[in-house]
Amino acid sequence: MTHLEIKWPDAMVEQVRAARGRLERAGEALRAMSLEQRLQSTARILGDWTAPDSPWRRELVTAFAADSPFHEDTVREGLDAALRAWKPEELIACVRRELAAVLESDDVVLSPFDWTAVLAGGTIPMPTMLSVLLPLILGSPVLLRETSNDGATAALLKRSLKAQNGTLARAFEHLAFAAEDVAFDTLLEAPCIVATGSDETIRSLSSRLRPSQRFLAYGHRFSIGVLGPALEFDDEAIGQAAEGFALDVARWDQTGCLSPVVVYLVGFDPSAEKGFARTISRALEKVARKMPRGEITTAVAASHANERAEARMRQASGETSGDPPRQTMSFEGGDYTVILEANTEPRPAPLYRFLRLMPVDSLEKLARVLGPFSGQISNVAIAGFSPGEVDALRRSLFHFGASRVTEPGRLQTPPIDWPHDGMPLLTPIARFAQSG
Amino acid sequence: MNRSEIETDLLEWMKQTPWRADLVRFERLALALFRFQYEACEPYARFCRSLERTPRDIQRFDEIPAVPTGVFKEFDLCCFDLDATVKTFRTSGTSTDRRGRLRLDTLRLYEASLLSSLRETFLGDLRGKQPMLRFLSPSEEEAPDSSLSHMFATLLAAEGGAGSGFDLRDGQLDLDSLGRARQRAGQGGTPILILGTSFAFVHFLDATAKSPSDTWKLPEGSRVMETGGFKGRSRIVPREILRSELASRFGIPEISVVNQYGMTELGSQFYDSSWLDPDGPRRKLAPPWTRVRIVDPATGQDIAAGEVGMIVIHDLANTGSIAAIQTADLGRAVRDAAGETIGFDILGRSEGAEQRGCSIATDVMLDASLRETTT
Repeated sequence: MTHLEIKWPDAMVEQVRAARGRLERAGEALRAMSLEQRLQSTARILGDWTAPDSPWRRELVTAFAADSPFHEDTVREGLDAALRAWKPEELIACVRRELAAVLESDDVVLSPFDWTAVLAGGTIPMPTMLSVLLPLILGSPVLLRETSNDGATAALLKRSLKAQNGTLARAFEHLAFAAEDVAFDTLLEAPCIVATGSDETIRSLSSRLRPSQRFLAYGHRFSIGVLGPALEFDDEAIGQAAEGFALDVARWDQTGCLSPVVVYLVGFDPSAEKGFARTISRALEKVARKMPRGEITTAVAASHANERAEARMRQASGETSGDPPRQTMSFEGGDYTVILEANTEPRPAPLYRFLRLMPVDSLEKLARVLGPFSGQISNVAIAGFSPGEVDALRRSLFHFGASRVTEPGRLQTPPIDWPHDGMPLLTPIARFAQSG
Repeated sequence: MNRSEIETDLLEWMKQTPWRADLVRFERLALALFRFQYEACEPYARFCRSLERTPRDIQRFDEIPAVPTGVFKEFDLCCFDLDATVKTFRTSGTSTDRRGRLRLDTLRLYEASLLSSLRETFLGDLRGKQPMLRFLSPSEEEAPDSSLSHMFATLLAAEGGAGSGFDLRDGQLDLDSLGRARQRAGQGGTPILILGTSFAFVHFLDATAKSPSDTWKLPEGSRVMETGGFKGRSRIVPREILRSELASRFGIPEISVVNQYGMTELGSQFYDSSWLDPDGPRRKLAPPWTRVRIVDPATGQDIAAGEVGMIVIHDLANTGSIAAIQTADLGRAVRDAAGETIGFDILGRSEGAEQRGCSIATDVMLDASLRETTT
């Protein structure tokens, strides 16, 4: 007797295969365009999204907010601020810089991957948009697996591509399915893969790929603030820094890698530390009136409740730390928490507008405090230092892997050519060939 | 009531079998214990005063301030002179200075509570019959500050029969000794009870995956108890899958695989109902000297049955420490058809993990610093 085993095709696997087939055909047309044509078309599309009154951006605000835990006003402000910081001309300049060898020599050419798989992650639309546009510039069609938190960006991006250039639009497909779906394996057959996710996800993906596959991963990072003693007696500057950090914390409810989770107060007197804690608490309350915090899950609420209770216990205990002695102080509002810690002991970062302030005696001590976080720091906002101190601090922060140093209020709005996780924009996903 | 009187009453209560719930008795003891702990533990008293909830302000047990488990890493929350400490249990961790600790000046109540729960919900018909007990965990000699190892040692001394012992040594699972114990139990046709950490059971499943199907079949009446998480110790296996795979590998029904919910900061533990009440929904059972509340994290108020909230535990066995503990775990109260609460479900802490995207997960800052101190 013959044992027959029938394997039914998985619907999502079939969809991925079909999309891949379409992309391979679309890729030929995409590569028939010159690099310059692809770049100019992409820059125009970017212009459509970043224009002062972009209808695409307006539509994304509504569509994204409808299906996300963020408040619509937070989405609007976040998208407006981040996308308006992206300049099409800076994208063009960046591409010319990074691909100079291709543009200036006949010997070096681009050899685009047949297709690129983009595994979106996180809660914010901008990284997804950029991850799609960059391979298209290089001539590699894109299959995007959408994040479960964002079912709006990909469809709108596709429509905006179509409005500018049908060839680019046909070279972009998007699908949504769970990581456990067998279709995921089909996606991982791509010759080039771009992924955003937790360190655990990245490790797991990496172990499933062949060495010959190109893999660009954006893992977990966090951003910080550093305020110097020059601010201590300047109420106006203190107020500006507090308002800037409040905005950085409120944007995307602190869920992105550009969100500050701790602000180090360097060389502040304990009374000035308390003053800054009160000022930033007021600023967070004020910004919440314009950008209310979105819904938080019960797990996040439990995490906040625990961290608040722990801080209250430290505060109530009366225990002090350091010289001069400092005590933990908690400042709580409906939508925010500020904990002024007595020391720099690392503590969990519950996010969703939960900020810790930590006192540090000097820049030398700050370097020791940041040492363990080397490679995990994304952006840093600084203020209140002399020009000489700024130079030294920048060098130190770059040494610890920070990829951008800016000022309070600008953490969440990097330019389009910001070296995300310290990498160039295009070359990590580009393939080059040389003749001669 | 002073502490001694409270403990005498509790010890009497713990002796009762079957368990007898008594809210009036619980409330009386809980309020008396709160008054004692407020007077005896200054950090806790300060915490209560900061919340304006002192013994004068409180009429009901659910008004007693609960301390988050995390503060056990920073404070010695005990109601006696540190010199009187006879045992210190520590939470698992990679760095000693960030591990939570529970100091005890007596083990009498702790042991009475753990034995009562194990006998009521897990041993059942085997109580007093000295069954063979095998433990997939290090012995107390190897892990003197592990509350789980102490629990197993206590159970072994009180109920363990011939052939009982530990099968995890120097971090290695000793499959040979476990196999010999299984064979011996099989020959006698007597039940064997295997208790251990969840990750040790995962290693067991991995190590025996290719064994012929009946190799690990246990005699009728045998059962398994697993507890704890997986983080960093083994691959992560959903609880239901682990249960099903253990039942299959050992050839026992799934009701015989019981999970324990416990933590170092508590003097009592909570076991699945499946052995005691095989026909009812699987849930965690609370001993009568404990109360498990499911609260809204934002308000601290109890929420409706069936809704998900944060777990707060009032454990009267914690006489020398703090009885009211706020956990970071999520749970849901389980009620019967008549609306009576009959237990609770644990839903873990992972909800929303994906939401964080490229930002740091809650513990990343902590983890990074720990890596630094341990490498």
